[in-house]
Amino acid sequence: MAILEQTRTPDRVAEKIKKVQELYADAPEVGRVALKNGLEALKHELAAATGRESAGRIGARQGKVSELTAIVPLATGGGKRIRGLLDALEGNFRGADLVGTLHDMRFVLLDNDTKLLFCTTYDGEWDAYIDDFVTKIPNSMDILFCNCEGWPGIHSPKVKDYIVNTQHTADAWYVASPNLTVAETRRLEKVGAAVDELLDKIG
Amino acid sequence: MATQAATGAGQDHSVEKKIQQFRELFADAPEIGKKALENALHELRSQTSDLPPAIESAGRVGARLGKVSELTIIVPLAPGGAKRLRAFLRLLRGNLSQGANKVGTLHTMRFVFFDNDTRLLFATAYDGDWDTYIDDFVAKIPDYLDVIDSAWDGWPGIRSPGAKDYLVKHQITAEGWYVAYPDLTVAEILRLQRIGKAVDEFLDKVG
Repeated sequence: MAILEQTRTPDRVAEKIKKVQELYADAPEVGRVALKNGLEALKHELAAATGRESAGRIGARQGKVSELTAIVPLATGGGKRIRGLLDALEGNFRGADLVGTLHDMRFVLLDNDTKLLFCTTYDGEWDAYIDDFVTKIPNSMDILFCNCEGWPGIHSPKVKDYIVNTQHTADAWYVASPNLTVAETRRLEKVGAAVDELLDKIG
Repeated sequence: MATQAATGAGQDHSVEKKIQQFRELFADAPEIGKKALENALHELRSQTSDLPPAIESAGRVGARLGKVSELTIIVPLAPGGAKRLRAFLRLLRGNLSQGANKVGTLHTMRFVFFDNDTRLLFATAYDGDWDTYIDDFVAKIPDYLDVIDSAWDGWPGIRSPGAKDYLVKHQITAEGWYVAYPDLTVAEILRLQRIGKAVDEFLDKVG
């Protein structure tokens, strides 16, 4: 398969470059100049693109790592409560460690506190990930998301549909180490510490 | 020891105060939230008393936990910008790794269209300070950035002295920011991957 891809690559890249040039014919000056200057780099990029995959029901995935991006309307007073709650926690969530498949997570209040942007980076498939939240930190989920308009409750059979309806799949998704899950990264941290200790003892 | 005990007592006090704050905050919350809060108070008690590292500032704007920072930018799109950028990203099959790897301090990056393609969310997780990070983008992939950002309404160009102000103006600092391994930079993760591989090879030879 990989070989097939490669033999077809030069033509496809040329074709794609042509498409990009057409696309940018009416772009602002800054964009047109940049395209001209960056054409060589872009050729490499286009040739190498392996493509983002789906994380399952919704969302994008690179290798083993997926993205969840949800924009949720807040209920009356919800913004105030979320702000107060996160402020009291000093913006930190020890509980998220329990999920075990979560790389990062952010809560951002938008449009005068009328919407919540919730973004995470996680391992693997969408359904399994949501199940992890439900089984491992259900209370934390309800405390945060009860502030959103129409939140059915984490134990409701409708909760997955609710999330799907507020989620937007990323059009581009980059991960520096797409083959490392959270568990693998933690294991490597331990290996690294052990190697350092070993070298200390030898040296 | 005496100092420690005193700090401990102070902590207990502030934890109780926080619990009180939580209860007040949720007095008018939906039933689901109030119930969950009571269930979770025990958990919250340990979370607030363990004093996890607090979120800091990433510099001019944005939040940082340990060595890893967040950048969340929401921009209005220029007329025709969404169509162009969407098609461009599609041609790259949503994979920006060639350019992004060059930055060297970028953990993750996403581009998300919303509000009927009138706005774009650009969110990244990166190492260290905001100014250095933006400088990395400018120094390492300026053209690439302009090709993408020319879809943004009012984007002055990455080489413009107004570029950083534009970014600051559209960036929103996260109220909450979690990172699973806050002490690992991109470079350190890459180093650990090499060590892991070397150890596996070594063990293969020994075994």
